[in-house]
Amino acid sequence: CSLSKNKFTNNAYTLERPIKTTMLDALNKVTACYRHLVIALGSTSDSQNLREELKKTRKKAQELAVANRTKLTSLLKDKNISKDDRAEYERLWVLFTSSVELLEVDMKRSLEIGQDFPLKVPTRHLIQTGMTGSTTTVAARAMSVQNMKYEADANIDTVDLKELETEIAQVDQMMEEMEMKVQVAPWAVEAKQEAGAELKSTVSVGNSSVGVISICEEEPKETVEGETGLMKVFAGVIFTAVLLIAGILGYLVINL
Amino acid sequence: MTINTLSQDGVQRQQMPCLTKMERMIISMQDPDMGIKLRNQRLLITVIPHAMTGLDIVEWLIKKCSISDEEALHVGQLFVKYGYIYPLKEPRNLILKADDSSYRFQTPYYWMSTRWPASELDYAIYLAKKNIRKQGELIEYEKECYNALHKRINHTWDFVVMQAREQLRASKQRRKGDRIVLECQEQAYWLVNRPPVSPEHYKLTTLTKNTIAMISLARNRVKSSICLESYVKYCEQYQPHDPIMQGCLPSNPWITDDIMFWNMNSETVALPTKLRVERWSFSFMELLNDQMGRKEFLTYLEKEFSGTHTQINESIHNPYKQQFLAPGASRWVNIDSKTMEKTLEGLKRPHRFVLDDAQMHIYFLMKKDSYPRYLKSELYKNLLARAIVPQETKKSVFPFMRRQRHSSPSPALATQTAEDDGKAKYSNSNSGTASRL
Repeated sequence: CSLSKNKFTNNAYTLERPIKTTMLDALNKVTACYRHLVIALGSTSDSQNLREELKKTRKKAQELAVANRTKLTSLLKDKNISKDDRAEYERLWVLFTSSVELLEVDMKRSLEIGQDFPLKVPTRHLIQTGMTGSTTTVAARAMSVQNMKYEADANIDTVDLKELETEIAQVDQMMEEMEMKVQVAPWAVEAKQEAGAELKSTVSVGNSSVGVISICEEEPKETVEGETGLMKVFAGVIFTAVLLIAGILGYLVINL
Repeated sequence: MTINTLSQDGVQRQQMPCLTKMERMIISMQDPDMGIKLRNQRLLITVIPHAMTGLDIVEWLIKKCSISDEEALHVGQLFVKYGYIYPLKEPRNLILKADDSSYRFQTPYYWMSTRWPASELDYAIYLAKKNIRKQGELIEYEKECYNALHKRINHTWDFVVMQAREQLRASKQRRKGDRIVLECQEQAYWLVNRPPVSPEHYKLTTLTKNTIAMISLARNRVKSSICLESYVKYCEQYQPHDPIMQGCLPSNPWITDDIMFWNMNSETVALPTKLRVERWSFSFMELLNDQMGRKEFLTYLEKEFSGTHTQINESIHNPYKQQFLAPGASRWVNIDSKTMEKTLEGLKRPHRFVLDDAQMHIYFLMKKDSYPRYLKSELYKNLLARAIVPQETKKSVFPFMRRQRHSSPSPALATQTAEDDGKAKYSNSNSGTASRL
């Protein structure tokens, strides 16, 4: 495995066995995107596509969860690790379990809301919340692709719910097993971040530049996006000004 | 819902019925024909649809439910209070105004739900997000909550920061109008679930919490050794009377199908069992709870010219009690002058509890005075001597000669046959309607 230093540390110390946290970061990202998608359920942003996005995102989340779990349990089971290493792994374990808990709650809620708001009914009663745009970019971010492909059947809103139920049961079972097998006291873990840490570093914490390239490419877009709107207006103003001047000059030339 | 909606403490929760009703109403407001009229909200360059005025809401409620102006306003207020609709101009002011102030519907994820109460972790993530967006300029109350949460859930604080950042990045993928709506929605949700508290109110609540804590510290406590002792005494006293611990004579009806035990202990038997009579000496309530005991006690009291006491206690639900207490009444009652005065006052404007003081007084009189005397009286002792101790039924020597145990027809069977009949009738009618469809 690669030797990227763990980017969570504020005070510098090197782990004896540093680990890559890209998988954990990816799980965190997918959880955040999944929540974002579930918020759109039942509203005017809801659609067949959203249901498919939810399905794909949550399957990806589950894959990542299983992968993380395997890795972290194998790390924690090792008896020959130093105290510092163990503390760090326990911290990562708490990060992991928090992510899975959030995911589980959102899965249960998406089941509930999905059942309450079926799409294939004569009169749709989706709540008119003011959100009308699509969520395809969010899903693309979760899946780490450029564009989402939609290939689901028309009745995904009902068929998917059954799968969702079984998946929820699986996640529940996984969490129970985790609690049994891994003896980590969550309250004993100390966070590395202080209060207000989110304001300090502008570079994403934990998003190691090594590894998956697709995570990084969104960074430049974000800082510019706020300004593109303003730029467009400015450019438009200049363009019309130039046109006006050209028109006036032309008029003068013709008349003189 | 087939999935168990277990909350953190493992208790299965149901959605409150009133919230379900409100949800149904909100859904009916979305109807394209019969729903609420919606307008667009203009913010500088962006236009966000699906806004409605307070007046629209009130008028729709009046039309739909055929209620008065005032009631419609009140119902509308409930929608805003519970977060199904949120105001756009003054988000912190959760009131419905029946004028042109605009409101919007909340998305189902953020609906008030007893199944999914707002969690601390989510609140922490929200505050972290707000902190990033506002560059550290949180309002005073939010700053306090943020610091408190940082202390309380410190172990997952790294997760809070990571998740806050990721959620912000995810929302940046949406277009501007949707992003604004998302922010407003989330803010409205947290204003409903974690209402901001003014500093004076905050001080007051902490003050009351402290006083409550001090009072509970000063509470009288019984040493566990003492209460365990009395518990042991109680168990020892009641042990011979417990059919499971001691067995019951003549035999346990559930085992031998012989109901003699019940017959001997029924209320109208001529001679009670010894155990039963002994039990009356445990406490006054034991005596009163047993109908036969009450009768015996009454006979004793009548012998002592104070039978009216028991009659009052027994007929306490009878409203026509003036006959007992009016001076010169046909029956006299022994109560002290203070209670008598109070009761007579109350009788001038009679209410349900007017004779409670008198009753209490008489009850204690009987308990402290008449009851101990009864237990020492000849009447009681005679009854105790005459009481029967039933013989245990002989078990037959040869096990296979024992009386055949046959259970009486189980009540479950009876109901099942009734259900089957019912089902047959229902399916007949059902198939009839199915063919019509």
